[in-house]
Amino acid sequence: MLREIINTVIKKFIHQFASPKTYFLQVKRLYPWVFYISIAIYVVAITWGLLFTPKDFVQGNSYRIIYFHVPASFIAQSLYAAMAFSSAVYLIWKVKLAAYLSRSIAPVGATVTLIALISGSIWGIPTWGTWWEWDARITSTLILFIMYLGLISLHNSFNNFEKADKLFSYLAIIGFIQIPIIKKSVDWWSSLHQPASITISDKPSIDPVMLYPLFLSIIGFSGLVACLVILSSKVQIYKREKNKNWIKDYV
Amino acid sequence: MRILTTFKQETLKLLKKTRAWLGPILVFVLIMIAYPLTVELSSQNLSDAFYPVLFISCLLVMMLATEGIFLEDFEDGSLEQLVITGNSLYQSIIIKIFIYWLFIGIPISILGSLFNVGSGNTMDSSLMLLPPLMITTYIFLILFCFGNALSLTKGSVLGTLITMPLLLPILVILGKLTTAILFNINYFGFLILLFGILSIIIFIFPAIISKIIKTHLE
Repeated sequence: MLREIINTVIKKFIHQFASPKTYFLQVKRLYPWVFYISIAIYVVAITWGLLFTPKDFVQGNSYRIIYFHVPASFIAQSLYAAMAFSSAVYLIWKVKLAAYLSRSIAPVGATVTLIALISGSIWGIPTWGTWWEWDARITSTLILFIMYLGLISLHNSFNNFEKADKLFSYLAIIGFIQIPIIKKSVDWWSSLHQPASITISDKPSIDPVMLYPLFLSIIGFSGLVACLVILSSKVQIYKREKNKNWIKDYV
Repeated sequence: MRILTTFKQETLKLLKKTRAWLGPILVFVLIMIAYPLTVELSSQNLSDAFYPVLFISCLLVMMLATEGIFLEDFEDGSLEQLVITGNSLYQSIIIKIFIYWLFIGIPISILGSLFNVGSGNTMDSSLMLLPPLMITTYIFLILFCFGNALSLTKGSVLGTLITMPLLLPILVILGKLTTAILFNINYFGFLILLFGILSIIIFIFPAIISKIIKTHLE
């Protein structure tokens, strides 16, 4: 009974909202709102974090890169999770839009992971005295970056989009194993990188004065990344649906 | 009964191609010979970096061994034949990987532990090295088969590129195990961890590989 209800709801959802055309139109309407609101939030967070928070007791002013590094590395992993989820949706319910989305997340994810790596290594100079360390968290993030590139090159090497989507989805789901490894790497191996400051179960070990702008910056940054994903998914829709009639009105 | 037939067929198929099973073993031996030549002979500390070289050469040799594991069957249509006649692709992939391990993985593990003595380590450490080597070669084989199934017609570079990130956690465990062997600490925890990973992927990955190959055949 429950199964049937779930199935009908999902089918209705797929038919009504997950067709590329509806997605395209909705996203077109929503995009400016998301963009301007998230850029406003991020600017507020950065100003607050850079000008109105006190110096760190140990690291001085250099800790302020946290408002850039933490959102980037958090979103790099969340994007992979989102990609694996939409790949699973594609493989189970054969939703075309999910395949477009997972393919369009990959280059954005690679960019964000690169940003996290570079900002982390810039932060490493004043605090650890080195650009690079073969440390658990850093190495696993580098592997995540290579994984994104591998996914992109796998997809690009097939001319048949449907086959490429399926193989991409299998690899994305298998590669999801790494996300818990990256998350837990600082707890399992002894490492230079500090353990997570914000966890669901415990009280955050970071002072509220610095915490609120950090939360704001995470929200703003994810909004901006969502804008990038929207743009990239538009490109995918243009590519795949170029033979459809409706798309000619929007080119 | 059918399992036995498949077993025999796959064995014959592998043994017929001498390049496919003897080649990787010889490449392994050549890497092991090349290693002491690159270290200055007077310094006499071959054993220092032996384990990393051993594990990485195992990795590369397994990559070479699986290079054309499905390609030939795919091109001459025997994979398609297998699927159409209703035989289990899953079963035959499990058997295929097992045979590759039997003819390539085990000789490499034995040779690796022999070269371990040759590079100045003790006999005991060699005996301790043999079981983890056997398990890791199997894990590497399965994962490279997965990569090569994904990039079936596109060459093994792509397959390696997408498999290596998945293998790196296993190399981390091997690094910890090496320390345990060198300092003579109890290393069974790591051995059981490796065995656990193997016992999970040994039956799950062939199912995924057969799905992937069916995607290619569509």
